[in-house]
Amino acid sequence: MTTTTPVRTVEHTTPPRTTLLDWLRRPRAALNPPVWLRWTIGLGSAAALLALPLVNPSYINQTVTLVMIWTIVGLGLNLLVGFGGQVSLGHSAFFAMGAYSVVIAGQAGWPHPLTLVVAGAVPFVIGYLIGLPALRLKGLQLGLVTLAMAIATPSAIRALGDLTRGNRGIAIDADPPAWVALEHDQWVFYLALACAGLAYLVTRRLARGRLGRSFVAVRDAELVAETLGVDVWQTKTRLFAASAVYAGVAGGLYALLLEFIGPENFGLAMSISFVTLIVVGGLATVPGAVLGALFVQYVPTWTSALSASATGVTYGVVLMVFAFFVPYGLVGLLRGILAPAVDRLPGRRPGRA
Amino acid sequence: MILQQLADGIATGAVYGALALAIVLVFRASRTLNFAQGEFALLGAYIAWQAIAWGAPPWLALLASMTFMAVFSVAAERVLFRPLVRRHQHLPVIIVSLGLMIAMNALIGWVWTYQTKEVPPLFGAGIVQLGPVAVSRQDAGIVLSVAAIALLLAVLFRYTRVGLQMRASVSAPESSELSGVSTGRMMSTGWAIAGAVSAVAGVLIAPELFLHPGMMAPVLIYAFAAAILGGLESPFGALVGGVAVGIVENLAGTLVPAVGGELKQVVALALIVAVLLARPQGLFGRKELVRA
Repeated sequence: MTTTTPVRTVEHTTPPRTTLLDWLRRPRAALNPPVWLRWTIGLGSAAALLALPLVNPSYINQTVTLVMIWTIVGLGLNLLVGFGGQVSLGHSAFFAMGAYSVVIAGQAGWPHPLTLVVAGAVPFVIGYLIGLPALRLKGLQLGLVTLAMAIATPSAIRALGDLTRGNRGIAIDADPPAWVALEHDQWVFYLALACAGLAYLVTRRLARGRLGRSFVAVRDAELVAETLGVDVWQTKTRLFAASAVYAGVAGGLYALLLEFIGPENFGLAMSISFVTLIVVGGLATVPGAVLGALFVQYVPTWTSALSASATGVTYGVVLMVFAFFVPYGLVGLLRGILAPAVDRLPGRRPGRA
Repeated sequence: MILQQLADGIATGAVYGALALAIVLVFRASRTLNFAQGEFALLGAYIAWQAIAWGAPPWLALLASMTFMAVFSVAAERVLFRPLVRRHQHLPVIIVSLGLMIAMNALIGWVWTYQTKEVPPLFGAGIVQLGPVAVSRQDAGIVLSVAAIALLLAVLFRYTRVGLQMRASVSAPESSELSGVSTGRMMSTGWAIAGAVSAVAGVLIAPELFLHPGMMAPVLIYAFAAAILGGLESPFGALVGGVAVGIVENLAGTLVPAVGGELKQVVALALIVAVLLARPQGLFGRKELVRA
């Protein structure tokens, strides 16, 4: 990498005042904490998460498992929307496919980790097939097709009644295998932790690596990317299919956690909460998925105390407010708040802005 | 039997066409899809219901709701959409219209509760016999009023100064700015008409589906399918698309046993995908040419 000297501009006029709005809207680079802090935080949170289910009552394990499930969806969707610039309002469909795959494979007697692989594979194939036409669809149209997908999902589940038992819903026994000495909630927690951890690391590698850069290139300048040798069509389709895998695995974990699913679980509202998740967390950031997941898990529990409609109003208003005033999400805010402190810590590697 | 299905399909299709018309008007004005258009229609229907509940005659209620939705639409366009559309930001526009959609839906549920409400048919009960086909007066009224709207809009676009200015600011924004047409005002006019038309669509469909906050989601997909089928550029195409979707929906629902009631929405989805793949500009749209 060549180092560039900052361009000096001469100010002839008084510099414009930075308002709070400008501050909120400013794009920011990722924090650059020293290595020791990275490891402390990483190992600390890993240890905390590993210990958590052993000391907590099961309802807390359940909500934390849900946070991890939403994190997985968010990571995948953000890869598609944030990095790839392609809108999907239909990820609840992939989530549902994953959930039903786990239940149906599980009823056939397959072990849970294997059903989760199926839960990833089915959306991958279907996502790839849907992604093939995605090449021809520009932003708005893809949004439209995926919106229709989300609205049609519950009816599709009901229509496939032979497989899904339609409106009656379908149950699965998600107790851990005999050789594992864990309760149901602890077992699903550890499965979700393994999947979320893997998804997080893979996404971070993807986002920073060659593939992530080609996603961004396709998002920002399709023609230029093509000229530079990026296969735009393949990049888009693979991206779509890959993000469907995240949603599928998350859906599978969701089915294992609840042990009962029906068509009403997977409506448009779920897709919208996924979009809210990544917008609130921060588009095109990896940690954003975690913050967004915390938002969609805990905010509705507070708002529902207010009124049945309060969650919808909150999501709607939050989406509009973030689109206007906080385009880089909570991660952008945190970066703005923490950067001055982090930059003063000792032991940072220089020059990795 | 088939003729009867056809007639029913035309009536529901006319409503899809009306909502698709609103979507197309917004698209022409701002180059964006308003995912909240169904909720605009829903709000229009609730306002009309409220006015009727307060004792207003149905026609006055419809008029009030159209006026309110026109104003509401312009406000939404000015405050929420124009800043983003002017900056050419695709993703934020989608996010905002999605946000508006769920916020409106939840607020409507909050104000008017989630209980279904009955809306009296605007054109009265009773049946009109047209040869072998029996059509309810409401259905006949729906078709006639949507046709009237279409006629009015055609006259507006073709024979009035405002209509000419609207078409100009859509097809050549810079030249029309130079010749003294305010494209901003034309955008607002497009949204205002779209708001009023959605209100009509909402009021017309409400007696058939019963009024409740979830009523518009399926109608919205059909309307989008209609708009895509006709071509997002063409108001006439939206109406034809709407009627076509209505007929397909009705026939597929009854004639193909595998489709049944449940898969009708999947049919709309398949239609959208098929049209986008085979003819992205729609039946009546023109292919967009880009000079490289």
